[in-house]
Amino acid sequence: MDKSVFRLDGVTKRYGDLVALDNASLEAGENEYISFLGPSGSGKTTLLRVIAGFEPPEAGRVFFNGRDITNVPAHERGIGFVFQNFALFPHLTVIQNVGFGLTHGKSGLSAAEVEKRSLEMIELVGLSGMEGRGVDQISGGQRQRVALARTLTMNPKLVLLDEPLGALDANLRSRMRTELRAIRERLGVTFVHVTGSENEALAMGDRVVVLDRGKIIQIGTPGEIYDTPASPDVAHFLNRFNLFDGTLAGGRFNAVFGSVAVPHAVRAGKDVYAVRYDRMRALAPTADPQGPAIKARFIASEYLGSSMMNFFEAEDGHVIELEHHLSLGTPQSFEARQEYLLTWNPEQAIVFGREAAR
Amino acid sequence: MESRILKPALGLYVALFVLFLYGPFVVLTIISFQQGPEGGPQFPIIEWSTYWYRHIFGLTPPSRIAPLPFGEALLRSMALALMTMVVSTVLGVMSAQAFRRKFKGSSFVFYLIVLGMMVPGVLTGLGTSLLANNVIGIERHWYTTAFATHVAYTFPFAFLVMLAILNRFDSSVEEAAWSLGVDPWTTFRKVTFPLIFPGVLSAMLFAFTLSLDEFPRTLFASGRDQTLPLAIYGTFSVEIHPNIFAFGVLTTLFSFALLSVYGILMAMSVRRAKKMAMQEDIV
Repeated sequence: MDKSVFRLDGVTKRYGDLVALDNASLEAGENEYISFLGPSGSGKTTLLRVIAGFEPPEAGRVFFNGRDITNVPAHERGIGFVFQNFALFPHLTVIQNVGFGLTHGKSGLSAAEVEKRSLEMIELVGLSGMEGRGVDQISGGQRQRVALARTLTMNPKLVLLDEPLGALDANLRSRMRTELRAIRERLGVTFVHVTGSENEALAMGDRVVVLDRGKIIQIGTPGEIYDTPASPDVAHFLNRFNLFDGTLAGGRFNAVFGSVAVPHAVRAGKDVYAVRYDRMRALAPTADPQGPAIKARFIASEYLGSSMMNFFEAEDGHVIELEHHLSLGTPQSFEARQEYLLTWNPEQAIVFGREAAR
Repeated sequence: MESRILKPALGLYVALFVLFLYGPFVVLTIISFQQGPEGGPQFPIIEWSTYWYRHIFGLTPPSRIAPLPFGEALLRSMALALMTMVVSTVLGVMSAQAFRRKFKGSSFVFYLIVLGMMVPGVLTGLGTSLLANNVIGIERHWYTTAFATHVAYTFPFAFLVMLAILNRFDSSVEEAAWSLGVDPWTTFRKVTFPLIFPGVLSAMLFAFTLSLDEFPRTLFASGRDQTLPLAIYGTFSVEIHPNIFAFGVLTTLFSFALLSVYGILMAMSVRRAKKMAMQEDIV
């Protein structure tokens, strides 16, 4: 982190009895891209709205550019916000939307200067030629870019994005991802991006902040989060792990697959054994697994383009997923309702437990 | 099967309803073209003429029938309706805006406001007149006491219209404006107001028309200078001539003109509202 742009210090927010944010602390540097990941209701949008100044926190402070802005109203914060529904001004044209902040704020620019800056920004987001259109006369992706341009014309040091890609189709989504990153590199803005999609969070963030029930449960680079999730909940949100409940005792984990030696474990509130989807293998039921194994019936498979997902059902009804990367060769073919032996290398499993050393 | 009986029956019902609604106006219109000054307010029409219309504007030779004393009353009523419209609409928008956030005692305040349209007008009028005369000791005028009762009466209508509009208003556009460094007051003028304008228009129409023909409150609270409804009522107690029907036709035409202006303005802002709806659709 070069230089701190904003900092949250024990921010707490309640709606009646519901605790939307519980003592959240976080620091972000200049020119950083941070993703907030969490299920709906985890408080990630609330956190964004507190930073923007739309909601006052009950406790804690918000710092921006070294200044305590906890009690500064939203319009004096200089923090950009891109809404999930874009919230364009429906009665204005594209260029009027983009120039809105310069025209009606405290910029003091002349109409000609405002127009010049707006046109530059419209060009930056690739909407030249659409200046005079009403915002109902352009497509969803273009609206998204108007929303972004409108925010960026104000030259904010920090831009908050509330699931801005959620309303777009898959194709546009990946294009906007690339464009967002390009724009950020050009302008040197810190982005905070809220998303419910683990793919988006891992793909876009320099750092990922995982939230659950109003608490920040892990902060790290996408690689750290993916390889070493800090808790069973994080592993669960990443949607990349088969999770087994059991008990960790005396260096061994006991679960449906029997008892496995655990070389090291991560300290957590409950005992969970996690194996990544692509670290599992399926063997014939009679084979010798040479390690931990669990019997399961094959249900179905799903072709994902670059990989194949196979779904198995264990005897207790638990669904186990097995991912095969197609670059590693042709996938095994399985027969429906047939029993297989699923196994993995225990070295690669991630184990959480109350009695772990760390 | 059902519709073969139900549809014509409902159609007939609507036709009767419309007849009932506009019947009096048709009769009024026909009689207003009665011959004058001898012809009275009854059938048959002796001879078609525009005598009574000219009579209103003083374009007929003097006769035993005095011209209607409506000129000043009409101006008074117009001024009163305009004043009421502006004040009630401003109050309505402001209070509905306040109700967007729950505050302590908000439901109590809500009923307090709405009560204004519920209390019988005669009581409000009488109460105001007693209050002015006996308690405060001020003179009653159409532009003071009567104006106050008109606002108390029309404000709840404007308030309810604006409440319904703001209830459906997506506040993220306002937050977007704030995040662009635009202060709340400018945001209201440049974003909120243009978007709620159709509602404001309806609130204005309500306040204006309700005030224009308000009778019971004005009767007691207006003092010696009469408003139009009072003046019309006053002429009835003497003698009825077709000139009053001609006058009725003219005021009705005025109302239609007003409605047309409202319709045009509404159509313009509805087009804008549609844009907004389309923007919400994609979410």
